Amino acid sequence: MIDPFTDVFPSFFGMLNRGPMTLTIFLHSLIVLPMFFIYFSEKKKLQRGEPDD
Amino acid sequence: MEERPTSVWGSTRFWRKSAGWVTGVSALLLIWLSADTVPQISMRSAEDLDAGKPMRVPPPTVINHKITYEFDARRGHEIPIIGEKEAFFGRNDYSEEEANALLTHGKLTVQAKNCMSCHTLLGNGGYYAPDLTKAWLDPAWSDQGPYMAMTGTTSREEAMAKFLMKPSTYPTHARRMPELGITEDEAKAVVAFLKHMASIDTNGFPRNFAKINGGVNAK
Amino acid sequence: MLSKYSEVKWESQKLAINYFRVAIILFLANLLFGLLAAIQYLYPNFLFEIIDFSINRTLHINALVVWLLYAMIGAVYWMLPEETGIETVGIGLGKLLFYILTAAIAVVVLVFLLIQVGAGDIKSIWLINEGREYLEAPRWADIGIVVVVLGFLANVFLTAFKGRRTGILTVLMFDLLALAGLYLAGMFFTKNISMDQFWWWWVIHLWVEATWEVYVAAVVGWGLIKTLGANRKIVEMWIWIELAMLFGSGILGLGHHYFWIGTPEYWWEIGALFSALEPVPLIGMFVHVIYDWGKQAGKQHEINNKPAFAWFVVNTFGNFLGAGVWGFMHTLPQINIYTHGTQWTPAHGHLAFYGAYAAILIGMMYIVVQGKYGIRQMRFTAAGKWGISLLTIGLIGMTMALTIAGYQQSMIERAEFGSTWAGYFAAQNSHWMLQAMGWRLAMGVVTMLGFVFLFKDLLTIGPKLKAEEAAGSTANANAPAGAAATA
Repeated sequence: MIDPFTDVFPSFFGMLNRGPMTLTIFLHSLIVLPMFFIYFSEKKKLQRGEPDD
Repeated sequence: MEERPTSVWGSTRFWRKSAGWVTGVSALLLIWLSADTVPQISMRSAEDLDAGKPMRVPPPTVINHKITYEFDARRGHEIPIIGEKEAFFGRNDYSEEEANALLTHGKLTVQAKNCMSCHTLLGNGGYYAPDLTKAWLDPAWSDQGPYMAMTGTTSREEAMAKFLMKPSTYPTHARRMPELGITEDEAKAVVAFLKHMASIDTNGFPRNFAKINGGVNAK
Repeated sequence: MLSKYSEVKWESQKLAINYFRVAIILFLANLLFGLLAAIQYLYPNFLFEIIDFSINRTLHINALVVWLLYAMIGAVYWMLPEETGIETVGIGLGKLLFYILTAAIAVVVLVFLLIQVGAGDIKSIWLINEGREYLEAPRWADIGIVVVVLGFLANVFLTAFKGRRTGILTVLMFDLLALAGLYLAGMFFTKNISMDQFWWWWVIHLWVEATWEVYVAAVVGWGLIKTLGANRKIVEMWIWIELAMLFGSGILGLGHHYFWIGTPEYWWEIGALFSALEPVPLIGMFVHVIYDWGKQAGKQHEINNKPAFAWFVVNTFGNFLGAGVWGFMHTLPQINIYTHGTQWTPAHGHLAFYGAYAAILIGMMYIVVQGKYGIRQMRFTAAGKWGISLLTIGLIGMTMALTIAGYQQSMIERAEFGSTWAGYFAAQNSHWMLQAMGWRLAMGVVTMLGFVFLFKDLLTIGPKLKAEEAAGSTANANAPAGAAATA
């Protein structure tokens, strides 16, 4: 499942690229997961009755 | 505190914050990735080449060497192989300075003559003329191809340089390359640029280059 | 659009009209040089060593980029006073920059046509031709463009801070700043072709697949409020959603240009998976426009500018199809290794530029005409209908022809012949390629005809509908709506 590293130069991203979609999952997680935090903090604000702008 | 029925999905502020986050973090990731890639695609030094170190973009002195394009089982595609010394316009001892000047002049000429408007370089450009990524290795310019005989030369580099100076006098197809006023020095420099480009590791593009001599009834 | 008559009271909007006037002339140049290049595919001796293919293509693509930029700047100058409620700050500077930019572009075009190429030294890069696709403009012009765009940005920012800063304007300010900044990534020389193309794609990709798309999302939103009376709050929320999706997929979608230019292999996965998401926001825009249309139709609200709205629909459909579907078709590295650098790219490029950018900006031209003549209700004229139909048919036709050309080039040159010089010509001379190029030329002529109708319509629709409305209101002098609108 973990492919051997074959690219010319070793690098962090090259290493992440060895697993099944691990590089993409890593990048997407960094982008998407914090949106849950934004979601819940906004939900709290709205529940407290702060108006949306 | 009383729970109000709320929908975050209809909140402009939620989306504005999300948009800000997504854009910011994507931009930072791109910068991080670029910081990782740029050193990998920087030109290596002549010492690295002599030491046989792995490289994506070899130094200009690669013109002193024979270049081939071979299938690499480990990588799963073809890669350029930099081999023993080989004469380029009769010499195989271009110094780092000379090779550097030649490649710079070649790249400037390629831009000034706007080659990229008809040809593709590394697959990018116009589609009116052949891709030049591995043109240096093309059988058309070998002793098997038509150009050496047409130009009355005995090497690839001489055939290419002579063609570049007077392209429309050596037509092989109805679609010809126009005269661009390329001087002898410029022509040699452009050939050096092409030889260098063929030595760049392009992750196997183009695939099966020159390994197949033509399909079935393609015309 | 050329006549002196004008009901426009903002100086900013008068300047916008000038930008659109130049844009439409450059649009004509865009089509004209495209036609010449298309003829050369079939008859290679046509204008050989007079105006070679390379010159025609350079002018074809640069006229395209510049007319889109002109119309984009024009559209912003048009929207600015209506959004902020005040006259654009620094409008005098804006006018001066317009004339400087136009003069500079005229010089660049003349140099491309008359001098064409230079000697292989840095002087040629500065004065004649930078020789990098889409960024051919010589370095002096690059610097000029940066200065002009900085002036434009200053005007937009100062006006927005002084007047009402709406959500739409906030998105545009942020986006235009990124758009201008990215241009700087294309202004240096390196002998390393891999490095050259790495940064070159920062400009090209992050323009057309990120910042320009966000610009379109904002302008479509503004246009929906203008033509349909769509709810501003909902529109602005949509624009933020689209911005998140466009930048979320588009910024790292840049990876799909880093498969084969010497860059590391990990870009295969990044390019494939992020660019596969790029069509999603384009579906979003399409849904947005159609949803708002349906919603407003239920309220018996009449579309007050039918040609503009029709162009918005062409925009969302063409953007999704041309940029989204045609882009996705060859974006995966497993396919792209055979399609990269073939007629696949122009197939995608033609429909994408038309659908994503030309259509929305033509829609804006109709809004400008409406404002210039103070027309209450813009209906379609016959010329307008012919224009939109022939342009769309022509572009779809060219795209289909080029797709077939791309398929067969991938198969013959790449797969059957292993990408050699001989393989290239085997593909170019094949029966199918010639047939496809024949259809492309025919459809190019259809496109040009469509342009002629569009041009005529933009010149005549204003006075014509104005006269009709005036006649209508004198006939129903007691009808309050008509009387109020023309008063």
